[in-house]
Amino acid sequence: MDYDPMIMDDAEALGPVVKISQADSVRVKWELSNTDISFANSLRRVMLAEIPTIAIDLVEIEENSSVLADEFIAHRLGLIPLNAEGIDSLLYSRDCDCDGCCEHCSVRLILHAKCTGDENMHVFARDLVPTGDRINQVLGTPIINDSEGLGPLILKLRPGQEIKLECIAKKGIAKEHAKWAPSAAIGFEYDPHNKLHHLDLWYESDPKAEWPPSEYAAWEEPPQEGEPFDYDAVPNRFYFNVETAGPLPPDVIISEGIKVLQQKLAGLIHELADEGGDGGVNGDGYNGGGPRSPEYGAGAGMDGFNGGYTTPFGGAAAGNQSAWGGAGGATAYGTTPYGAGSSWS
Amino acid sequence: MAAANYKHDNTVERSFELFVLQEGEKKITEKVVSGMSNCSDFLLLKEDHTLGNLLSAYLRMAPHVMFAAYKIGHPNVPEVLIRVQTDGSITPREAFLTTLKQLVALYGQLGREFQKELALRKYADQSENAAADAAGPSGTSGQNGI
Ligand SMILES: [Zn+2]
Repeated sequence: MDYDPMIMDDAEALGPVVKISQADSVRVKWELSNTDISFANSLRRVMLAEIPTIAIDLVEIEENSSVLADEFIAHRLGLIPLNAEGIDSLLYSRDCDCDGCCEHCSVRLILHAKCTGDENMHVFARDLVPTGDRINQVLGTPIINDSEGLGPLILKLRPGQEIKLECIAKKGIAKEHAKWAPSAAIGFEYDPHNKLHHLDLWYESDPKAEWPPSEYAAWEEPPQEGEPFDYDAVPNRFYFNVETAGPLPPDVIISEGIKVLQQKLAGLIHELADEGGDGGVNGDGYNGGGPRSPEYGAGAGMDGFNGGYTTPFGGAAAGNQSAWGGAGGATAYGTTPYGAGSSWS
Repeated sequence: MAAANYKHDNTVERSFELFVLQEGEKKITEKVVSGMSNCSDFLLLKEDHTLGNLLSAYLRMAPHVMFAAYKIGHPNVPEVLIRVQTDGSITPREAFLTTLKQLVALYGQLGREFQKELALRKYADQSENAAADAAGPSGTSGQNGI
């Protein structure tokens, strides 16, 4: 069946327009148009760096007779993608009342493997076992997407070698360390024919012959022969390719990115309106747009956005719970975009 | 063997000072620029180009705003300064607030548009799969009945 997004767009023709060309459990390729480049780029930046996820942050090593140094293994553990479903109800440990870490602000995982056979042993992410109380049954579980169900290789052991350690996974954002990035990559491009000359392509003799056209080149009108440069032209169509590293489904990365950005902006509104005293909204317990805030005191709840401020502006994120099964990720349109049978969990 | 005692590791404290407000810091403060009419500087702490570029770009498009720009004085200092000058019919703070509200609404609209298109995409994909199944030799009809 052919699907033409233009049919339904008339109602909100004045705002951003979305067209999705591919969506599955790993990536969403979509076009954002009818908006400013700063709008698109801020969303890209937030999706890259400011969506909270969970990653191993501390490792206590009890026994390591492998050939790898403790800190080398700890670094590898940090980079293992962990399921971030329900991260909204986990506290940042810097905001938690506990001394160090507890079940409200961390997930513990243990790894214990000893090579008892006479072949080298491979230790995989599936051998990391979450222990103790957790916010929910999946938060902090290593992401395993390969068909054998192994997950990333952590290290190898020779006969007789042993590894025994305990990890503490914490909530964080990629601005602090890239291990908290939810996305593997975010493709972002515009103006595939370089009509705006934002790119200065290096070439030997002919840039046309040496630079293969983007897959989006066919989506836009190529420049006419001898066409004069348009000094008033601005980019208007932006092509995103959001690919997940596993912690969150790709469509959730996008809706979470929008949410985080809205929270930043709403935080500014609250403070600015308060400061002026001109009939401002009194942010009850809302503490600024920093990445510690909204879920703080906003009560738990999977549908995140609503906290202290559903605000008069925007009614925001009507469909933010989305996709992800969870407590019934049914959208207003009835279906859960990704069936429960996806390769997740 | 080596064991990290996180309770005494104060290097951990420093790693989020780039984006978490310290005690007593305000996210945003307005400072009226003396010597220029209808002009204010807004200082945003623990923010970066994400908000600086977005807000100054949309302020420039806003009515009654004559000038808007941002700077990040030093790449290692997480502070954004946004200067706004209006034509006098509204204050820079009013222009700033209006722009903020407009952007929250626009991103809300984007979120709704995205969910709508995603549902359509899924529906189209499912229909395609169903059609492919039905066409195939062992097609089981009506499996994805929607
Ligand atoms: Zn705690």
